[in-house]
Amino acid sequence: MFNKRTITIIKRELKMKLFSKSFILMTLLVPLFMIMIFSIQFLVHSLSDEQRADIIFVSDSDEILNKIQGEIYLSGSFKSGDITARFEKTDFNGFSKKLNEIKSDIIAQRITGVVFIPTTSLQSKGVEYYSSNPNNSSLFYKIKPSINKALVEIYFSGKQLTQDEITFARKDVEINGFRISSDEKVEQEGYGNRIAMVLFSFLLYMALIFSGAMTMNAVVEEKSNKIVEVLLSSASSTELMAGKIFGTVIVEVIQMIIWLSPVMLLITTSWFFIPPEFMPQMSFGYILYFLFNYALALITYVALYATVGAIFDNPQDAQSGVWPLLMLIMIPFFIALGLESNAQTSFAVIASLFPFASLIVMPARMILVEVPLWQILLSSLINIIVLIGIFKLAGKIYRIGILLTGKKPKWSEVIRWLKMST
Amino acid sequence: MNILEINNLTKRFNSIIAVDKASFSVPEGSVFGLIGRNGAGKTTTIRMILNIYFPDEGEVLFKGSKIEQNFKDSVGYLPEERGLYKKMKVIDMLLFLAELKGKKGSEINKSALQYLERFDLADRKNSKIEDLSKGNQQKVQFIGTILHDPDFLIFDEPFAGLDPINTNLLKEIILEMKNKGKVVIFSTHLMEFAEKMCDIIAMIDKGKIILNGKLTEIKEKFACKNISLNYQGSISFLNGHPLIESIEDFGNSTGIKLKKENTDQELLKILIQNNISIKKFNVDEISLHEIFVSLAGKEVINV
Repeated sequence: MFNKRTITIIKRELKMKLFSKSFILMTLLVPLFMIMIFSIQFLVHSLSDEQRADIIFVSDSDEILNKIQGEIYLSGSFKSGDITARFEKTDFNGFSKKLNEIKSDIIAQRITGVVFIPTTSLQSKGVEYYSSNPNNSSLFYKIKPSINKALVEIYFSGKQLTQDEITFARKDVEINGFRISSDEKVEQEGYGNRIAMVLFSFLLYMALIFSGAMTMNAVVEEKSNKIVEVLLSSASSTELMAGKIFGTVIVEVIQMIIWLSPVMLLITTSWFFIPPEFMPQMSFGYILYFLFNYALALITYVALYATVGAIFDNPQDAQSGVWPLLMLIMIPFFIALGLESNAQTSFAVIASLFPFASLIVMPARMILVEVPLWQILLSSLINIIVLIGIFKLAGKIYRIGILLTGKKPKWSEVIRWLKMST
Repeated sequence: MNILEINNLTKRFNSIIAVDKASFSVPEGSVFGLIGRNGAGKTTTIRMILNIYFPDEGEVLFKGSKIEQNFKDSVGYLPEERGLYKKMKVIDMLLFLAELKGKKGSEINKSALQYLERFDLADRKNSKIEDLSKGNQQKVQFIGTILHDPDFLIFDEPFAGLDPINTNLLKEIILEMKNKGKVVIFSTHLMEFAEKMCDIIAMIDKGKIILNGKLTEIKEKFACKNISLNYQGSISFLNGHPLIESIEDFGNSTGIKLKKENTDQELLKILIQNNISIKKFNVDEISLHEIFVSLAGKEVINV
């Protein structure tokens, strides 16, 4: 497979791609695009704070109502005007009536919502919230501490505790994570690795989709402008496909190295200052693994995309063949994002070994937890086996598809190609 | 000596038999024409010769052994549907095609520039292919086909879509290669080109080779039984006549095929007796086209 013809084709790919405008553009645009996406996330998050909330607090107990009123007036959100609050005392029956009266105001959003704090909440801490948007976490974040404080203080007020004791009782537990690595070092862990995991997974996801789509279009173009038959009179279809794929892989790995160079400098030098809680704990070996895994993922997916390109003779038809591949990239990506809650579940372990999924899940998992070496080796082995299988199948489809033009082939025909000797 | 032997080549696509037990051979130093209608199986046959398609049955022998990469390296192939990388520079495209054939270095570079000079493209060597006119793109494609100095040239419908200048240029190339002793194989549905250029032909129809041999011998053999006639009057009395095998109207002339050889003088007598005014009565002139029409659908004839 690797002979002088394959190398000639690889050389052409490198020459045409590495110095092309689109390579330079992509190298710059992808990080920019990522920054943009994260900025939009941040913006949406901060905008949710900006909305003014008009809340009515209702309770059947004067004591609760007064205490909460005091706490709310002391809170920052009230002082800054983010929240305006009214306080009304009424019992259960009165509350239902009251709710009926103001329903239309709530729907019209003249009133943001009603918080009902019954006496029973002194036992259960159960509070009800009525609104057209009952999942307003940014509002809960603002009013919960005040309500909690009020309830706790009333609850303990008859029990002769000092203010310090009440403050302690009111406080939530704070868990600080410390990573114990296999060399028995113990290090405090901040958000750094979680952020790095999202960034790396996202980069992998985008890079695979972009390079796949680009290869597919290049193959469709070769097919539709008929150069392919000229090439086939010199090289075999396998040589052609291998040249195309490995050319793309080399270009994309170089691009990835450029993208990761700031991260490499960050973890190997002290040129940049990053607050310790955001500093990812990452070894240089991990970066090397990431690149190796990226190369495997590229070969796998680019081969699949090239095959889809070979089946169709125009980009529109080819798009219809892409969705199964998109699923193969998107599902593992979302599994990887889900690892944030726990990267050691048996599901996470299986996903990080499963064909296709492991290409994206394993590198994400490795940022969050220390994965046993055997799992890393096993997943690489599985990926290489899958890759060889795909290469064989792709070669067969490529060989027949690449010369067929005209009618869009049916999937059943493509399956028949696999059985043919051609 | 036969440099290339094609034995019982068969290729099926689904239930359709594109090429059906095709056998013929190509002698050294010959211009070989594979002739047939569109869809007769010419391109499929050529693709099997080039190992682009694997045959279902049969084999292609190059100098007595099965074709391998060294055969591909010695072939210059111009497919019917021509194509180049549109974004590549002319000179890069040519050197890439030559390198795929295993030729690179200053020699080939020099040779590429010479060809560009000869085809009036020297000043365009650094232009992108897409910036060239269609005619000039075809010239680049010709150069790409012959730059690596192949021993074999295979052209699939070479004259399709060429302007008159490039048609002459290609004829020139074919003759030049012939004079250099190279083997030229081309397929065409244009009988008149084949007639002018080929030493040897194979006619293919519905995937089957129906005629194969030296063009001169074929014409000799068919000429004795074939007459090209221009006349005034009605020759309907010839229908069913014991001398006549078939009558075919080609518009300008009528082709008459006799059942037996050397009965042409008898036919001439009958025509005169029936007061037909004869403008032209040509016993030797038979076109490949007439031969093809008379044969299509019949059994293989080896000359």
